[in-house]
Amino acid sequence: MSPERLGNIGSRPGDEAPGPSGEIRRQGVSAAPGIVVGTVFLKDSVRLVVPNTGIENAEREVENFKRGIEDTRVEIDNIRADMTERMGEDHARIFDAHLMILADVTIIDGTTEVIRRDKLNAAAAYEMAIDHILHSFGEIEDEYLKDRYADIMDVKRRAIRNLLGESDAVISRPTEPVVIVAHDLSPSDTAQLNRSNTLAYATDGGGRTSHTAIMARSQGVPAVVGLDDLFDQAHNGDTIIVDGNTGTVIVKPTPATLEDYELEQKRFHELEEQLLTLTGYPAITLDDKRFVLAANLDMPEEVESALEHGAQGVGLFRTEYYFISNESLPSEEDQYHVYKSVAEKMGGRPVTIRTLDIGGDKIAQYLHSSAELNPFMGWRGIRFCLTRKDIFRTQLRAIYRASAFGKLRIMFPMISQFEEVIQAKQICAEVMEQLRGEQVEFDQTVELGIMIETPSAVAIADHLGKEVDFFSIGTNDLIQYTMAVDRGNAKIAHLYQNLHPAIIRAIKQTVDAARKREIHVSVCGEMCGDPRALLLLIGLQLDEFSAGPNVIPEIKRMIRSVTFDECRSLVKRVMRYRTAGEIEKAIDKFMAAKEPVNGRRVTK
Amino acid sequence: MLELNKQISNKIGLHLRAAGEFVKLAAKYQCEITVYNGDRYANGKSILGLASLAAARGAIVRVIFDGPDEEDALAALETLFDNKFYEE
Repeated sequence: MSPERLGNIGSRPGDEAPGPSGEIRRQGVSAAPGIVVGTVFLKDSVRLVVPNTGIENAEREVENFKRGIEDTRVEIDNIRADMTERMGEDHARIFDAHLMILADVTIIDGTTEVIRRDKLNAAAAYEMAIDHILHSFGEIEDEYLKDRYADIMDVKRRAIRNLLGESDAVISRPTEPVVIVAHDLSPSDTAQLNRSNTLAYATDGGGRTSHTAIMARSQGVPAVVGLDDLFDQAHNGDTIIVDGNTGTVIVKPTPATLEDYELEQKRFHELEEQLLTLTGYPAITLDDKRFVLAANLDMPEEVESALEHGAQGVGLFRTEYYFISNESLPSEEDQYHVYKSVAEKMGGRPVTIRTLDIGGDKIAQYLHSSAELNPFMGWRGIRFCLTRKDIFRTQLRAIYRASAFGKLRIMFPMISQFEEVIQAKQICAEVMEQLRGEQVEFDQTVELGIMIETPSAVAIADHLGKEVDFFSIGTNDLIQYTMAVDRGNAKIAHLYQNLHPAIIRAIKQTVDAARKREIHVSVCGEMCGDPRALLLLIGLQLDEFSAGPNVIPEIKRMIRSVTFDECRSLVKRVMRYRTAGEIEKAIDKFMAAKEPVNGRRVTK
Repeated sequence: MLELNKQISNKIGLHLRAAGEFVKLAAKYQCEITVYNGDRYANGKSILGLASLAAARGAIVRVIFDGPDEEDALAALETLFDNKFYEE
């Protein structure tokens, strides 16, 4: 799994020192694109102080306690209803857990006992009881369970606020458009933030699949996560720049920086607007060679953005998000609803669903398996699924059932052996047979394809191509495995070269194999978002490019400004070169010579 | 007093969701229900208590029932274990 897919491993180049004249720069993980200049709003800067005061009448305090808990229950109920309406049942379900935590008998009884025994006020007694449980959670060596700590804290904060008789307003909420800066945002935080007052999110914790990231992307609000200590560095009212494209956040920027970013922001908006005017136009070269442009998605809520940016399908629907963010393995029913909603929203356009591409390292969190020394070369992707056939079958059943509602394709990740394809196909056949037996309706012609992302798959692509309906080249992992480079490692990141002759040759070999077997071949990595590499990919005759929704218009613009012929000769030329540097230079020369042509179709 | 020993066989163990199912059912009975995982134990009617046992898939938990409707409670919770906490 590449860092980009994993989420938590963002690149963190050194730029952490305070910049000129007190400017604070932080590099985090880009979670949602866009650039915003705004004012800092610190979430939960108000600390609730629980007084240690005793009480006279224990029974009356027990009554107060019960009333406070009841008020809290009503509050959570309301948030849940509101959330269901705005974001759907899936997002609301976490609040069921909150309600059960609130009603927990150990805490209720524990609090009542302390009130009666120690004659302590309800808020302090409650804090004592819940901290006791939190303490035993802290001792658990289970990463997954530790994540639930945040949910308990959320309930605790809400209940204590009610017990102190403070209104909801004490948990401050912005009244004008601001940038929300927080340690981390819980589901109930984001549920209560008014979207029209939220310009951007910047949080200390979280990765690409964290709750904040998911919400931001579905709201179309820029976000940067994984900022370490931004919350402690920033103050309410500070000017802040959030660059969700690069993952950079700057607090108290100098006038010069501010000017740069305001310009950058304007440029980004103009480009976005200009590119969006291309939405209705086909991705076709000047000499009429057509390409398919599709979107990479992490969750169903991103479908709207994909369509807005002109995606003709979903080239890669990653299913890991549900597995990582849920509190347990998602059921067949849960998955079925997700896949069905994507299929329906895409209205008959093809949607390629990648089966679980999760590493032993991630899933270990709730399966309690042991950590691996080298997870990138470990028990992951199809290897994991073929061992845990129960999880694999559940997912396949959900996909096949959803196939009745649109055009779905199934794609297997991390293939390195011929037998893996045979086994995976066999399981698909069994699942289909089972569904037929149950008389469940599904698409009998769902296409099966594989990711080409290991050097061994490239080498036997002609054999693999005989067994499947399509290839999708996952460039992030293909580069990592071919170059033997972890790009998260700053010391060797420069060796991660998407223009290395080995990569260009590997892609050519894969395309040749696909042509020989007469199957469809696409690229679904970050490589197609790189203009230089894209020129080569066009010339290499890929059929389809799949990328993040906001990158699609850019790819289209490039395709519409070149001829297929010239890209093909460019490829022919660079195939002889020995280094990435030589190839890069040749492409730059080509681009410089082309510049005047660029405007021809871009401006309609 | 009755005792039930059961292996946790749902996919991810006795985490919040499974614990929630357990508690919902346990709350319907008057008898006291205590769940042991090794030397740790928790009130079977407390979701946080159960979750803090960190009983993983494969772990064998001991459940003690004590009270007038203990037989019914045992039967109901045994069915819940056998159905893997209705996760599928």
